[in-house]
Amino acid sequence: MRKSINKAVAYILVILMVTMLICVLWQVFTRYIMGEASTVTEELARFLMIWIGLLGGAYVAGANMHVAINLLPSRLDGCKKQILQTIINLTIIAFVFVVLIIGGSQLVHITYNLGQTSAALNIPLAYVYLVLPISGLLVCYYKISDLLTDSNNSESGLTKSHEVTE
Amino acid sequence: MEVIGIFILVISFVTLLAIGVPIAWSIGISSLITILISIDSLPAFTTIAQRMGTSLDSFTLLAIPFFVLAGQLMNRGGIAKRLINFAKNMMGSLPGGLAYVNVVAAMLFGAVAGSAMAAATAVGSILGPRMVDEGYDREFGAAVNITSSTTGLLIPPSNVLIIYSLASGGASIAALFLAGYIPGILTGLLLMAVAAIWAKKKGYPTGERVSLRALGASFIKAIPSLLLLIIVIGGIIAGIFTATEASAVAVLYTLILGFIYKELNIQELPSVFLEAVKTTAIVLLLIATSIAMSWVMSFENIPQSVSATLLGLSDNPIIILLMINFILLFVGTFMDMTPAVLIFTPIFLPIVQDMGIDPVHFGIIMILNLCIGLCTPPVGSVLFVGASVAKTTIEKLVWPLLPLFLAMIVALILVTLFPQLSLWLPGLFGF
Repeated sequence: MRKSINKAVAYILVILMVTMLICVLWQVFTRYIMGEASTVTEELARFLMIWIGLLGGAYVAGANMHVAINLLPSRLDGCKKQILQTIINLTIIAFVFVVLIIGGSQLVHITYNLGQTSAALNIPLAYVYLVLPISGLLVCYYKISDLLTDSNNSESGLTKSHEVTE
Repeated sequence: MEVIGIFILVISFVTLLAIGVPIAWSIGISSLITILISIDSLPAFTTIAQRMGTSLDSFTLLAIPFFVLAGQLMNRGGIAKRLINFAKNMMGSLPGGLAYVNVVAAMLFGAVAGSAMAAATAVGSILGPRMVDEGYDREFGAAVNITSSTTGLLIPPSNVLIIYSLASGGASIAALFLAGYIPGILTGLLLMAVAAIWAKKKGYPTGERVSLRALGASFIKAIPSLLLLIIVIGGIIAGIFTATEASAVAVLYTLILGFIYKELNIQELPSVFLEAVKTTAIVLLLIATSIAMSWVMSFENIPQSVSATLLGLSDNPIIILLMINFILLFVGTFMDMTPAVLIFTPIFLPIVQDMGIDPVHFGIIMILNLCIGLCTPPVGSVLFVGASVAKTTIEKLVWPLLPLFLAMIVALILVTLFPQLSLWLPGLFGF
């Protein structure tokens, strides 16, 4: 399950990145060849970056690659380490739940109701902000599945190491 | 009121960091806790979410993913290899030459890629084993690699200078890029001086002298890679490209070059793109939460009280700059560069600007200062990358790093005291 979600998200992220690159190159091209930069691609590139930053941030959270100070976790072992890791994961889940899922949905809801649309593409801003709750759900999924595997592992006496790679 | 705000912010942030919550989330969570003193929960959640989303809505920031991608493509596409080879032929015949090669290669690579992590990986993985083969101390080699790779953050193009430009509210990227050259090269030279003394003491071997012909050949091979420098930096300074446009052109150029060199193939491109997305996402999430924190701080009037406190201690610009340097050195050891720039620029810049210090000069001071933090435990990202590339541990690196730190501190003091080191070059180009 987690593998296929990872694969799907990675696929989406690469497509977003390639599209963003094409947008900015097109921007340069239109500015030089046609004499006027395309405002559509400029806006689209910015929106794509919001998606890459947040969806990518969730993906990276799933891979445990966000930079952290690993002094305390690396000094603990066994059960204590497990408890600390659980606290860390619960803290992240709590933040992501209230800010990205609740706050993000609220933002999507407000902008949708107000009918705010973007200047150049004329798409509802709610679609842009939709990445907030989506990323929130993804982080929650990853962290909850981490919690579950951790508790399974500790039952069988194995401790899964969560090395935070830089 | 502000005092309570600062207190809650600092305590919650430090606690979260200390227990091992990733920095990006720690910044977000402590900002949320702080803003909850002043506003209700639902509006607080929504506002933080909105700040995180809109913080990334910037055309300038788009340069970051592209420069990261270009750096990755350079590593895989043979550009890094050619630059290192050129540096080796140039400097390798001096006593302890490989250490100089490392510094020069890092500066050259920094000049085309603009990422300290990419430079530490590329240069360290190619030169590290060779240094060990020739009898160099593994740890010394790693320490030189780690410290010299940070020069790439000053020598343009540089993602952190772009982030500073954003945080400062519009310092010119072209001016910042030009301003970074002399301090970056100065730092590199000071690091080489330390390496020279060390190599002499240990009696490190002299590499074989290469013929002028071989040097010329490696230079010709490096030309297409060095040309990138002219396209990107020349383009930005001449006002032909914005930094973002230049970064996208750099990606296109490195892609084409990688295919011409036959070192890249279509099949591996998605994995290169995904690597770039991951590195970018780490930085972008930090930007998103840092900008949220910066907003919370200004909402709670924290910058004003910090400024009042600092100005209460002294009104001498040099003393204030030294105090700020001191604080930043401390902050830099615990905080990654991106959040440190985004959070502390809005606090310190107004203070120093009031004293007549140029925002471009201050940016260079700040980045050079935070470069030192990148090489120190517990959060030095470049330190970790450099240690793992050299297959050594951080504990063993402490001793060989010390003299190199000293060189960086000397560079920092010089750059702080002499604004001309930063401002002369941009002045020459009319900035």
